Amino acid sequence: MTDFDTLLYEKQDGIAYVTLNRPEALNAYNIQMRDDLYQILSAIKDDDEVLVAIFKGAGKKAFCAGADLSEFLSAPSPVVARQVRFERDVWRLFLNIPQPLIAALHGYVLGSGIEIALCCDIRIASEDSQFGMPEVDLGIIPAAGGTQTLPRTVGQGKALEMLLANPWISAEEAYHIGLVNRVVPIDELLKAAEEIAKKIASCNPTAVRYAKQAVVRGLDQSLAEGLDLEKRLVSQLRALRAK
Amino acid sequence: MRYESLSFHTENQVMVINLPAIADYHTIITQLTDELSDVCTVAASEKEVRAVIINWEQDEFPPGTELAGFGSVSGEYETTPLSLTAAVVKLDIPVIASINGYAIGQALELVLACDIRIASETSYFAMPHIQTGMIPWDGGTQRLSRLVGKGKAIELILTGEMINAREAHRIGLVNRIVETKELLSAVTEMAHAVAAKGPIALRYAKEAVLQGLDMTLEQGLRLEADLYFLLHTTRDRSEGIKAFQKKRKAKYKGK
Repeated sequence: MTDFDTLLYEKQDGIAYVTLNRPEALNAYNIQMRDDLYQILSAIKDDDEVLVAIFKGAGKKAFCAGADLSEFLSAPSPVVARQVRFERDVWRLFLNIPQPLIAALHGYVLGSGIEIALCCDIRIASEDSQFGMPEVDLGIIPAAGGTQTLPRTVGQGKALEMLLANPWISAEEAYHIGLVNRVVPIDELLKAAEEIAKKIASCNPTAVRYAKQAVVRGLDQSLAEGLDLEKRLVSQLRALRAK
Repeated sequence: MRYESLSFHTENQVMVINLPAIADYHTIITQLTDELSDVCTVAASEKEVRAVIINWEQDEFPPGTELAGFGSVSGEYETTPLSLTAAVVKLDIPVIASINGYAIGQALELVLACDIRIASETSYFAMPHIQTGMIPWDGGTQRLSRLVGKGKAIELILTGEMINAREAHRIGLVNRIVETKELLSAVTEMAHAVAAKGPIALRYAKEAVLQGLDMTLEQGLRLEADLYFLLHTTRDRSEGIKAFQKKRKAKYKGK
């Protein structure tokens, strides 16, 4: 196990576990967590031993209750802040990890918490999960990809409602709108995520990466381009298998 | 200007536009298009208007038609069909559609151009143009498929079949369904929840979603970040964060 200030990192049998670990602050996302996450994600990306990763939150109350607002008003000028963002673009990195990522969600999943979950490919939630997008309440908008990843996951209608009106969404509703793949009792949460992770880890790792790539990149392209991408990936896989 | 085909009023920073509950739309479509466009211009220019409700009530099944919607009641079409959605999609503030009864044809296209849809449980929806040899012309083929997915959109557009509120909710065509007597309060509550948020943030959130869906994810992320940092220059942002920290209600000025 490797300790960072805000995260725990473990690896076991091809599965990486990333735990958001600021339970005293409901695992709120802060600058230190950004830096820790950047390091861990860079490591995962380059680590072929990691076949799949699970993201979870420490403590009983929250996966992640959003961004740590105490740092917000000390932010540098917009020009500097924007420069810093693009120099160390943790969200772009997150959305470009080649291995499948699974989010195991419980308690409060708000703002950046939802956005972290949306950077993952599969979301499992415990029955006590509560979801919300409170940014516009604060005069801001999401900045970790939420305005892009949420509509691509739950559709434009529900995404606009969540972003503009910020209703609280229960685990059951989150399942109904497709925000999470599955809802389980809290004491089965990690087990459910691990079951999926083990299934993925038992498959050919290149095929797994290619499948993710074909879907994620394909959705960003025209259908014809997506079909070309699929064809290319399949012939590469065939060539690898023939070796 | 006097409005004859519709009425509107603004209350607590929400503009409510009531479209007329009549069966024979093709007789007023020209006037309705003009007046809706005019009212949308008013909404866009009034700083105090933070959200718009478009109220669609049609409790009568449009008679003597294959449900083909406005302008097609007699099966005849204008050479250039009049767009009701053009004015609505120009609004950069949130638009909520309140639907009670039949949202058929162009009426459905109109509610698809809104951002959030709430319907009474006795509402019905259809895109019946195909039954009179036409296809949707006010954005329906594009917006329906983007909202409910290709499979369901193709079915609705190719069959012209009518679906009830429950099915519309299940497929994501409407955000919520409520009892008819609860509709007004549900819509008003949602509009007031929206109007209480940071007004510039609302416009940027809407822009990020709608523009971003037409871009690659990578480009969308760039747009979101740019809009986010632009918000750093607003007074509303510091007000919102301070208000949250002091556990009081934020007073947004749109600056």
